[in-house]
Amino acid sequence: MIAAPGRTAWYVYGVVDAFASLPPGRLRLVEEGVLAAVVGAVPLSEFGEEALAERLNDRRWLEAHVREHEDVLQRLAAGSTVVPFRFGAIFRELDDVVAMLHDRCAELTAALARVRGRVEMGVKGWADREQVAASLGDAQPEAAGGRAYLERRLSEQQRAQQVIALLGDIAGDAHARLLRHADEGVANRPQPHELTGRDETMVLNGAYLVGDGAELAAEVAALQADYGSRGVSFETTGPWPPHNFVEPREGA
Amino acid sequence: MSSNEMTGIGGLAPTRSSNPAQLADVLERVLDKGIVIAGDIKIDLLDIELLTIRLRLLVASADKAKEMGINWWEGDPFLSRNGADRPELEGRLRRLEAAAGLDGDDE
Repeated sequence: MIAAPGRTAWYVYGVVDAFASLPPGRLRLVEEGVLAAVVGAVPLSEFGEEALAERLNDRRWLEAHVREHEDVLQRLAAGSTVVPFRFGAIFRELDDVVAMLHDRCAELTAALARVRGRVEMGVKGWADREQVAASLGDAQPEAAGGRAYLERRLSEQQRAQQVIALLGDIAGDAHARLLRHADEGVANRPQPHELTGRDETMVLNGAYLVGDGAELAAEVAALQADYGSRGVSFETTGPWPPHNFVEPREGA
Repeated sequence: MSSNEMTGIGGLAPTRSSNPAQLADVLERVLDKGIVIAGDIKIDLLDIELLTIRLRLLVASADKAKEMGINWWEGDPFLSRNGADRPELEGRLRRLEAAAGLDGDDE
């Protein structure tokens, strides 16, 4: 039985093919059959059960380690097909990592095949609501008097509903069009203003699994051309390791 | 989007940046996506206050969006694969908030 040296545990970042090569550094492969887990030693003083519960609520610690997790996956993905694990797969001994690979061999092998030769691209749609409203044309002529006021209020409400309906249509159309240029895609919940820190409203938070991203990029440009003047712009992020496409699909 | 981003696919250029929007994307992927493995060290990501707050924002924004009619991604089982666990999430958030002495309406 191989224990982590001293007071350490093994943090697992993800899984690659058994014959994969590692970037130079502190990472090591734990192989079992056709699979290999990519692991790094972490101190139990930070990653032990009690310590971890505290550290997780230390914003700086969490951000640093979440970014480190992502950086490792990015470096691996540069040279290999990688199945990303969610943050926090930690084992006391390498034998336990081997047992995990053995137990979940079928699922992990299927996930590797699913993402092989592909990357994840993110596409976000951002709406400038005022510009979207303006694109619908003038609402109501200015008029005086109580009745005119009520009519104006009613018209404003109708306008707000029209904007919402239009944004839903545009986001739905964008996702459907992007899916045609991807092997798979998922529309995640748009992130709220509190997270994005932007004035525009996120209306699309899509992730797409692609081989050659050129087609998807062309479609993003086409979406921008079609909807940009109406106040909805599109932005690409990535390439990312395929985080969104490794969990078993429903019904699969 | 620059064409450089796309040409980086083969070499997978790192998307590292200190941009806060980028952090939201990294958190969303590393804490919410990927294969879930229960290791020897028990870790409940919902105990992360940061994540709890974030999830609450997401749940709140989804409800707000639904109120406003921007819920096109729900209802379609293909699009809403993240929606299936919402009742459970909401329940957990309420328990966490109760434990933390929060009423759930504060910001």
